Amino acid sequence: MASFGFWEPIIIFSLLNLIFTAGLYITALSGQLSMATAAFGGIGGYVSAVLTTNFDWPFLPAIAAAALAGAVLGGLLAALTIRMRDFILKLTTLAFGEAMAVIAFNIPYLGGANGFSGIPLYTTMTDIVIAALLAIYIAWRFDGSRLGFASRAVRDDPLAASANGVSIRQTRIITFMLGSAIICAGGALAAHYVLLVTPSQMGFYYSLNYIIFLLFGGLQVLWGPLLASVLLTAAPEVLRFTSEYRLILYGLIIVMVVLWRPDGLLTRKKGEGSALNPLGPRAPDPLT
Amino acid sequence: MLLLLQQVVNGLIIGSTYAVVAVGFSMVFTVLRVINFAHPDIFMLGMFAGLAAGTYVSHSFVVVLVLGALGAGVAGLVLERLVIRPLRGRDVLMTLIATLGVAIMLENGMALLKGPDPVPYPALLGQAALGLGGIRIGERQLANFAISLLVLALASYYVRATRYGRATRAIAERPDVAAAFGVNVDVISRITVVLASMMAGVAAVSVGALYGSASAFVGLLYGLKSFVVMLVAGNRYFEGVMAVALGLGVLEALVTGYISSSLSDAVAFFMLIAVLYFRPNGLFGSYAA
Repeated sequence: MASFGFWEPIIIFSLLNLIFTAGLYITALSGQLSMATAAFGGIGGYVSAVLTTNFDWPFLPAIAAAALAGAVLGGLLAALTIRMRDFILKLTTLAFGEAMAVIAFNIPYLGGANGFSGIPLYTTMTDIVIAALLAIYIAWRFDGSRLGFASRAVRDDPLAASANGVSIRQTRIITFMLGSAIICAGGALAAHYVLLVTPSQMGFYYSLNYIIFLLFGGLQVLWGPLLASVLLTAAPEVLRFTSEYRLILYGLIIVMVVLWRPDGLLTRKKGEGSALNPLGPRAPDPLT
Repeated sequence: MLLLLQQVVNGLIIGSTYAVVAVGFSMVFTVLRVINFAHPDIFMLGMFAGLAAGTYVSHSFVVVLVLGALGAGVAGLVLERLVIRPLRGRDVLMTLIATLGVAIMLENGMALLKGPDPVPYPALLGQAALGLGGIRIGERQLANFAISLLVLALASYYVRATRYGRATRAIAERPDVAAAFGVNVDVISRITVVLASMMAGVAAVSVGALYGSASAFVGLLYGLKSFVVMLVAGNRYFEGVMAVALGLGVLEALVTGYISSSLSDAVAFFMLIAVLYFRPNGLFGSYAA
């Protein structure tokens, strides 16, 4: 594929974040807003890095292994949090992510604080574009599938969903597995581009970025978060002409969107709710 | 044994600062249902207000403390008006993200003004150290600890024994019922944010004097920790938040002293996982969010 010069890393990181966001969207659709996205990405990176560097695995099987690891861990985390209330679930995923970062930090085999380096460069622009298209396709098909509708039902009203024969347990575990598998595969792609996986990039502040993408774009429509992930990744670079002010502007943009577009950039007109506003855009005040 | 005691003392001193920041954080969350991630950066602003006061106004520690608290209080007032008030009643996570946006602005704005590296703090206190049966406590450490305890005691008095404090507790319990009984929720909310900010400002000046430096990114250290402390303790009793913060300081100091400093940051999160597993509403209960 042609070279894009200065823009190439920006495009690649935007698309990587798009893959991560697509995974998080799937997980969040059933009401599990995971705060461990960066941790899953890091796990995928470590798995693929170790397999290719120390065991000479080829690229594709290593990514598949990373996705599998993500699915297993995601399933376990979903099973652990299945009975938890919404707020506690978020906090548990937060703590899970931090714990994963600490564990990676304290395994000398993985390079400890310096991270795992010496990873072969495999990921090309073409790979990223194909992977991003694949992630978009999966998320899009999921969005309109029976499972997607079951997820929304579980998110909006678990009781009504189970009364209509939707298994909460199954839906939540499957969506968490699928989402985490995509995130881990994205993490593996990132590892073979950045050539370094460190525990610090698995932390809470990094995970929060993806939640910002999700809420900024709006949880009601798939295209919202995907658009936001690309816009917000590119924003600090595009704003580079403002040099030192760019991060300040970045913060300002986030504040303004949260204050003035409560449901995110892209919204449905009416009727459907979101994870943050389950009763729909104009929920009646319970007190009146 | 001596090492153990020394580490406990060090831990209590660090923990007392955690306690002041975490109590402010928890007050704002309990009363307004807003996770104020800009709170640690109000702390940072207080530190730099103190720096300016110490450089241009006076070298008296008390004057600098008061001006630092005022600076943080004004910052808190502006934050309340512009960001926190419109966020009330929104999903807790959205409040976290909006205030995190404010935090990004404040940190990078200050880094733009003062540079990203730590800047020296005016020498407000002496370097003398007390020896207490082999344990060494610096004058600055002692001042930091005493100030933090004083601030916490005043906060406790305010919440437990004054009319405004009672109104604050009423709002924390049931905002709608409190309003029906004539509590002015808007005013009390504003006072709560400003008080929490001033507490952070006082703690910030004493931390600046303790370490002799101020950094635009100092808030990062306290932000996540005060959040975790609040979650571990539960926001029902703010004395619980103080106890957990002090305990966290001691635990971290012990882990640093006996195991490794790389693990000390993890202590908070292991505490959090254990608590969420066994007591999902915090050690002392509440946070119905």
